[in-house]
Amino acid sequence: MATDLRISNISKIYPGCIANDNVSLQFKSGKIYALLGENGAGKSTLVKILSGVISPDNGEVFLNEKNLKLSSPLDAKKNKIGMVFQHFNLFETLSVFENLSIDATEDNKSLRLRINEIFKKYNFSIDLDVPVLNLSAGQKQKVEIIRCLLRSPKVLIMDEPTSVLTEQETEELFISLKKFCDEGILIIYITHKLKEVLSLCDEVAVMRKGKVVSVSQTQNEKVETLANKMVGQKLAKIKKKINISKNKDEIFKVKHLNFYSDDPFETNLVNLNFSVKKGECLGIAGISGNGQNELFQILSGEIITPNTSIIFRNKEIAKLNPKQRREYLMAFSPEDRISQAAVPELKIYENVALNNFKASNFFEKGLVNERKIKDHSKKILSDFSVNTDNVELKSQFLSGGNLQKLILGRELITAPELLICYNPTWGLDVGAINYIHETLIKINDQEKSTILISTDTEELLKLSDRIAVIYKGKLSKIMSSEEVTSEKLGVLMGGGSID
Amino acid sequence: MSLDISFIGILIGSIMASSVPLILAASGELITERSGVLNLGVEGMMIIGAISGFALMVITDNLFIAIVGSMLSGVIISLIFGFLTQSLLTNHVATGLALTIFGIGLSAMLGKNFVGIPGKEFPILFSSLRESIPFFGPILFGHSIVLYFAFALPFLTNYFLKKTKLGLIVRAVGDSPVSASNQGINVILVRYCCILYGGAMCGLAGAYLSLIYTPQWIENMTAGRGWIALALVVFATWSPIKVLIGALIFGGITILQLHMQAIGFRIPVQFLSALPYLMTIIVLVVISRDSRKIKLNTPTSLGRIFYKEK
Repeated sequence: MATDLRISNISKIYPGCIANDNVSLQFKSGKIYALLGENGAGKSTLVKILSGVISPDNGEVFLNEKNLKLSSPLDAKKNKIGMVFQHFNLFETLSVFENLSIDATEDNKSLRLRINEIFKKYNFSIDLDVPVLNLSAGQKQKVEIIRCLLRSPKVLIMDEPTSVLTEQETEELFISLKKFCDEGILIIYITHKLKEVLSLCDEVAVMRKGKVVSVSQTQNEKVETLANKMVGQKLAKIKKKINISKNKDEIFKVKHLNFYSDDPFETNLVNLNFSVKKGECLGIAGISGNGQNELFQILSGEIITPNTSIIFRNKEIAKLNPKQRREYLMAFSPEDRISQAAVPELKIYENVALNNFKASNFFEKGLVNERKIKDHSKKILSDFSVNTDNVELKSQFLSGGNLQKLILGRELITAPELLICYNPTWGLDVGAINYIHETLIKINDQEKSTILISTDTEELLKLSDRIAVIYKGKLSKIMSSEEVTSEKLGVLMGGGSID
Repeated sequence: MSLDISFIGILIGSIMASSVPLILAASGELITERSGVLNLGVEGMMIIGAISGFALMVITDNLFIAIVGSMLSGVIISLIFGFLTQSLLTNHVATGLALTIFGIGLSAMLGKNFVGIPGKEFPILFSSLRESIPFFGPILFGHSIVLYFAFALPFLTNYFLKKTKLGLIVRAVGDSPVSASNQGINVILVRYCCILYGGAMCGLAGAYLSLIYTPQWIENMTAGRGWIALALVVFATWSPIKVLIGALIFGGITILQLHMQAIGFRIPVQFLSALPYLMTIIVLVVISRDSRKIKLNTPTSLGRIFYKEK
């Protein structure tokens, strides 16, 4: 039976922010719909309304011309609207089966049978009796999806499903979603990733500042046209001028980097050797989980490995901790903005003060020099166009893009000679990505060096002068970006060889 | 002094009796904490249970009413805690501490006229078997119904949490109230129920003290047992069976060290008095050192206030 979902004049106003402004959309089964927009455009509010988590101030939702009253998540369930949230709604300490059985009406035996049927049909395989906290992000998402499928949904809403997935898992997800679509489930796919929209979806609605600004067939769209609609202005194309000169000084040199761990969740690193020249960007590509985490932690000094030599500005720094390395003018931007780079519960200026240098004089005689830190923070906020000038704001209220700008600003305002960043644009929208990319290029223009560890090959090709690929803890030979294509990188990232 | 076998049987029987209030209070608090609520008011709820049970016994001369009334008084006082923390979203720790202070004060006031009144004998079951079977008689028979209930409770609690749908919901709420709410579970209601159940068990634990264990009313007669029960729950890593073990060790060493003091061992009395606390913690830490199990049993959202999105 065909499903027809219609949203009519939905509005939701929070103090100081119109999250949804008269949103009207129509969806029909048999197609995959994209809801595209930057962070804060109102996509998540809209899907929370559809799943009954919050109720709208105004407007109605119709499913097959029946007016739905969605005042709690139970109502959405009853009306066969399934929802997979961006932040998983699972119970980490309960087993997979317990997670699935919590809202089931049948007995455990027949539930197990039904789950196994779903496993067979879609080629899933997950141990039902392990606690969810032992699963990978992709497996957790599958549990969420199975939970929806068990209720034979008419509508399945996916909120930014690929932000935590590896490329392999993303591909698997897309195959499943297409299967669901063929079976008549109406799929609404929320994202800010343009490429996913083009490769997966049939129709796309773009949201900006709480309003729907365009609805169109994806076949008539390109990455650029969608990006412009999403941001509301023309985005400049960024491409770095590749700059490889043989006679520049090597500023950073790593020799015999080995790392061995007993933890099965960590990757061993095998004999990495590389160097970075002045004003150069060295890109390190790879699918996540191939040792990037460990490499970043070793370069930043969080992990000290024996017998490794790291020369920075002609000094041996392999035994120094992150703070000491910073004193030598290195700077770091970790992948996990919320838990590694910044403390979300602290205010902006307090986070800035965490990066405390002898030279910065943030602390005098053991006391905090609050005014100095605040002035310094204000400078960062304005220099790096963070979308607020309130240094008292808690960092958790900044969007991902603004938080990343703050972190980069904090790291760069001391004019470091080498910046090491790990997935700096992870989860950001195009506007913020552009800004970060421009900033990174500017650093190289000022003859400072960068090491960019990233899982985004496009980003690497845009920004790096030389690129190497990390696969299972081993580094490929370092290539000039001119001779590298994304196909070549793809082969190396998959463990192949290009010679 | 001769340690004959029948004496050991009586000793074990008395150890069991002394650990009953701990088992009851800790089992109740365990359910409360498993739903993510940290109620530090155990001591307060126990003492209120103790005075209401005793007062009702004196007034009505009916032990059944006294027992049920003590549980109801525990429910009522925990309702205050529930309303404050779940409806008014106050801090769990501060509210729980206030509840204990309030309970101790209120019980002293209510109990003024009941000091010195002798208690009534509480009926014991199978008293003839107790005398006729050596060793096992005093262990297995001749106890009050409350003791048998207390010893069954950890197993029932374990079954409830692991095997029943409601137990699953309680654990789910304690793990992630936000997810539970998004799954359509009424988090506030579940937590209210768990808080009230915890209150009832603490009330019963108090009544056991004032009606059965030492049948009289003495001001502050719970003497810190509520705090011990709280500690037991944590050190037993939220496992009902380990709570039972912990309570027995604590009760056992308390009784044993009293005997040792009486015999006149050359160990400082202060050390002997500290021994039950030390040993309970050491044993529980040792038997629950599996960090994976701790992680699985610990209610992740314990003590955190839950806001429902609107």
